[in-house]
Amino acid sequence: MNPTLYKASTELSHGASMLISNYVFPNDLHVHWSMMIVLYPYITGLVDGAFIIAALYYLFDVKSLKPIARFSLLFAFAFLCCATLPLLLHLGRPERNFNMLLTPSPSSAMAGFGYIYAVSMGVLSFIVLFVYRPDLVERGKKAKGFMKLLYRALTFDSNDLSEKALALDGKIIRFLVGLGIPVAAVLHGYVGFIFGGVKANPTWSTPLMPVIFLFSACVSGISAIIIAYIIIRKIGGHSVDSDCIRTCIKTLTGFFILAFSFEMLEVFSHSYLKTGYHHMVEGLLNGPLASSFWLWQVKICSVIPLILLGCMAFIPLKDAIYTAISGLVSAILLLQVFIMRWNVVIGGQLMSKSARGYTEFHPEWFDKEGIAAVIIIMLIPFIILFVLGKIFPFWAEERKSGIQ
Amino acid sequence: MSKHALRIAFVVASVVLMAGVGFVLKAQLIPKSFGLYGPYRADAIDEEAQRVLKHGTNASCFGCHQYEATIHLKGNHKTISCEFCHGTYSDHIKNGKKIANLPVKKGTEITTLCLRCHNTEIKARSTMVIKTVGIQDHLKKQNVKLTHTCNQCHHVHAPLKYINEAKKITGLMEVKP
Repeated sequence: MNPTLYKASTELSHGASMLISNYVFPNDLHVHWSMMIVLYPYITGLVDGAFIIAALYYLFDVKSLKPIARFSLLFAFAFLCCATLPLLLHLGRPERNFNMLLTPSPSSAMAGFGYIYAVSMGVLSFIVLFVYRPDLVERGKKAKGFMKLLYRALTFDSNDLSEKALALDGKIIRFLVGLGIPVAAVLHGYVGFIFGGVKANPTWSTPLMPVIFLFSACVSGISAIIIAYIIIRKIGGHSVDSDCIRTCIKTLTGFFILAFSFEMLEVFSHSYLKTGYHHMVEGLLNGPLASSFWLWQVKICSVIPLILLGCMAFIPLKDAIYTAISGLVSAILLLQVFIMRWNVVIGGQLMSKSARGYTEFHPEWFDKEGIAAVIIIMLIPFIILFVLGKIFPFWAEERKSGIQ
Repeated sequence: MSKHALRIAFVVASVVLMAGVGFVLKAQLIPKSFGLYGPYRADAIDEEAQRVLKHGTNASCFGCHQYEATIHLKGNHKTISCEFCHGTYSDHIKNGKKIANLPVKKGTEITTLCLRCHNTEIKARSTMVIKTVGIQDHLKKQNVKLTHTCNQCHHVHAPLKYINEAKKITGLMEVKP
């Protein structure tokens, strides 16, 4: 492909050098959906993965996940609070998103996210409140002034902790978590769909996209929970429940095998079907994305974790070593999913609609969608999590009675 | 029904009520004419139709400026809109009558205007479509003063007019490096 590919190094007006190849349409020179749109599926993915862990405990009774089930809910909630931030920051006129939500059109999927997001936020908020009700009631009894009022509101003004009341809460939690699974799947499936639905982009336009996004979401969310659990427990000087970590890693292994298989299947179907734009996709993966896709996403961040996860599954390891490798694998997989999002979102825009040329993306530090903005947005959920931790205790054993 | 169940029933009722209020608010906030013809505000069509026209076409300029038209239509700039360099039609003509003169670019202003497209730094189009130059470098190569403005050699409407005429008179051709 591209037998007469020539490269022209040009100097942009602001001084950054830019490498474009062949012929790129002027409106394709600049990558319009940049790092904020990379963060958007990344953050919603973390929410989904964390929710899956909570669902495994509250709905499917995987008892070994008890130590982190409540924390996963709070983690999902903290990140869900920030899921729309990257999108709003990306918009030139963020306040106009309400216009879109007022008049959703069946021919444009954009408004869909607002509605799906609102439903998932509602469902997750109520799950958190019902799960924490016994703790909040106990805390409310000791609180004074404004905090007492806050606890009353958060417990629906019901301090009834009788077995009957807790049994009703348990049923409601199971119902809400059951409802939450399809909602979470739709939330992140939608994110994949919004890329898969762009017919003009041959790397995005595949029905596999929602599936790939869903599985990689589960991978990133579970990895994030494992790392957060290990770090927060170690910093607080508490022990790490190895049984819980082992169950998390087994779940992670399952989801990662599926995610990675589908990512490779997509490349395989592109190269086997050889559709009209195949030469562009092939050129993209072997050209501008050769390093970030094949080296980083596939070789370093997928093959190495697969080997490590395989070792963890087949070789009996001591708890301390197992936990340490779990942290390492989770960190690599968090990076893998981020790179995957990068390669899909930004990578997909590096080829011009001319089907003859590629452009390059240069992230800037101080820009509305720059690296500094990315760091700040990724810090906000942790600040929210810290504040939430003051009201909702993270770990199950810190309380004595009620629904666990 | 226990007190706790009653509270939960109240929460459910509140959620349903909030959703209902949301739908009513949504219905109230949507502009009246929305959806009459399609998924947009029908009144927007009338509002846009009322907008005062700002731009004309080259034909509207050539109606009066016939001398410039004869040069412009023969030159390499024939596809360029008059307003691109001279300014907005509505600042010059209102109801078919001249209301003001458009500002005339002079001296270095002309060079600045030319370089909006012809600067090598700007890569908006292939050099096959728009010839671009580094202005200082170009002036040096042509053996002219560095203070020269573009229109001292190029006719602004037909950039190669004087150059082609000079070639015809002298019989000299450019030496290609």
